[in-house]
Amino acid sequence: MATNPMHQFNVYKIGPEIKINGIDLSFTNASLFMLISAISISIFLLLGTKDKKIIPGKFQLLSEILYNFISKMISDTAGKKAKPYFPFIFSLFIFVLFCNMVGMLPYSFTVTSHIIVTLAFAMFIFIGVTILGFVIHGFKYLKIFVPSGVPVVLLPIIMIIEIISYLSRPVSLSVRLFANMMAGHTMLKVFGGFVISLGLVAGWLPLTFSVALTGLEILVAFLQAYVFAILTCIYLNDALNLHH
Amino acid sequence: MIKIISLTTLLLLTLNTVYAAEAGMPQLDPTYWASQVFWLTIIFSAIYFLIAKIFVPKIKGNIDARESQIRKDIDEANSLKEEADRKLQKYNSLIDEAKLEARKILSEGRKKINEDIQSKKEQIEKDIQKETLGATKEIEKFKINSLNKVNVISEEIISEIIQDIFKEDLNKSSIKATVSEVMKERKNQI
Repeated sequence: MATNPMHQFNVYKIGPEIKINGIDLSFTNASLFMLISAISISIFLLLGTKDKKIIPGKFQLLSEILYNFISKMISDTAGKKAKPYFPFIFSLFIFVLFCNMVGMLPYSFTVTSHIIVTLAFAMFIFIGVTILGFVIHGFKYLKIFVPSGVPVVLLPIIMIIEIISYLSRPVSLSVRLFANMMAGHTMLKVFGGFVISLGLVAGWLPLTFSVALTGLEILVAFLQAYVFAILTCIYLNDALNLHH
Repeated sequence: MIKIISLTTLLLLTLNTVYAAEAGMPQLDPTYWASQVFWLTIIFSAIYFLIAKIFVPKIKGNIDARESQIRKDIDEANSLKEEADRKLQKYNSLIDEAKLEARKILSEGRKKINEDIQSKKEQIEKDIQKETLGATKEIEKFKINSLNKVNVISEEIISEIIQDIFKEDLNKSSIKATVSEVMKERKNQI
């Protein structure tokens, strides 16, 4: 491992090279950690749904808390109409959460610290929500750019602002998650490097910081997954219930 | 905020070497972008289908089962409580009835006993009266008899005394007359 704090984000291929139409689709360490997260999720949920008890065990309780948490989040932000999208939001939240948490393990790779991954999610959500809006409301969906109660003089400017804010949704959604993850992990790495370079004399100070930052990063890992999911709910709400 | 500042400083620090080495932000290297999106699509789709088809219905089923169980238990408890109330009411009414009956029996018994006592009393009083009457009659008879006997005894005593003292026999009829005369006088005196 080099001292370069960005080295942890390197992607390299594992196993044979897979190329389709000249596009490199090899299995990489990023794919490996995606798979590890997915398997962890499956194991967690499998343990949570193994027994059907009236008084739940630890894992069953955890999975039910998670279910109720997301169910409440969706019904609070997007209302009843968002019920069919519950499994998607659930998967999204739990996948981002597990990717973030797996990334907190030393020597692991953080899938969500790559802009392309978060951008893929964000673009999928953005395009999906937009299509959904047009399917449900037809051309009336364009009303989303025209807030009610705005003076006619200001309307062109407001519309431009609204369109820009709408189009920047995937960018803000993806960059928020990616930047938080990358910044946190880079900081952890930098402070970890300081511990070694300062040695026994002053090394305990960055070590303390490192410990505190790890706690903070775990909080951020949860919080960013939550923010990602709740913003998806809010965008979904705009498409399902056209208030403005 | 601190994070963003440190990130920018870090980026500035690494910017000098960005063109020189492979350093910089590996995230912006497009070599494996396609691969990442490809694998993400596959893995996320898989996890989505697992969650949507297996796990969410299972968890929902568990929660629903618990809720329905709780509702059922509460309903059962309520019906049991109602039944208990009904039973209590029935029991109370039974007790009230029994009390009423007991009171009735008690008062009836008392009345009967009183009547009994009354009739017995009357009977006894009647008997006593009868006995008293008989006794009075007997006493009366005794009185008369005794008087007669006293007369006879007196006559005999007198005749014996006279015989003892005067050594001669007086005729009995004259003594009898005298005694009865004296007795009559006494009686009048009394």
